[in-house]
Amino acid sequence: MSKSKASGPSRYELLFIVPNNYTEEEAKTIVAKVEGVVSEQGANIVYREFWGKKKLAYIIKQNHYGYYSLCEFDSEKNVIAKIDRTLRLSQEVLRHQIVSAVVLSDAERAKIKDKQEQSAVKNEKKDEKPIKEKAARPTAVRTEKNESNKAELKDLDEKLEGILSAQDLL
Amino acid sequence: MNNKKQKDCFYCVNQLEVDYKDVRTLRRFINFYMKILPGDRTGICSWHQRKLTQAIKRARVMSLLSPTHK
Repeated sequence: MSKSKASGPSRYELLFIVPNNYTEEEAKTIVAKVEGVVSEQGANIVYREFWGKKKLAYIIKQNHYGYYSLCEFDSEKNVIAKIDRTLRLSQEVLRHQIVSAVVLSDAERAKIKDKQEQSAVKNEKKDEKPIKEKAARPTAVRTEKNESNKAELKDLDEKLEGILSAQDLL
Repeated sequence: MNNKKQKDCFYCVNQLEVDYKDVRTLRRFINFYMKILPGDRTGICSWHQRKLTQAIKRARVMSLLSPTHK
């Protein structure tokens, strides 16, 4: 314990969700409130990011959507529990998570985002190609089959008509 | 008799750090059933694999990833 106090403040990252029953402006005021809670405890907010309205991966308390907001701050270790508690009690925050983070400059942050974007785009391109090839093959086969089926049907129709007309003659 | 080729670690090659907010990257290490793939399937080094499992679980808590495929 004495060691952690001696090392001073460290970087933390808070991600929280505001429920969808607020408008975007109301959500932004709530975000400001939450940041107020954080800074009230003597934490120094370094970075904020408002993600806007996003679809939740699963329903939380009958909410399908939520406003995500990210906030990075420097604070003492013993304060985190207090912030966590106040956020857990508040009705305006659907869910939150405080995680220890790496200290980054703005340039480094931009670089990391760029890299993530690039790798994601590469990955998606890789995924697309085989799917297209796979999709192309069965459709081609299907059209051929359909054509052959049609030809067979035509033949059958002709035969049937021939038989029917023959029966009429009898 | 080790027939498995060792793949290169994605995070080491791209010099990326594992981030639970980066869902698009996490996606490629998840099953259709939203299960975390084992290290020999992902080809990630064990150090990053440990970070990855932690990150995926964090993403699930914040509803960035679904815990099931439904």
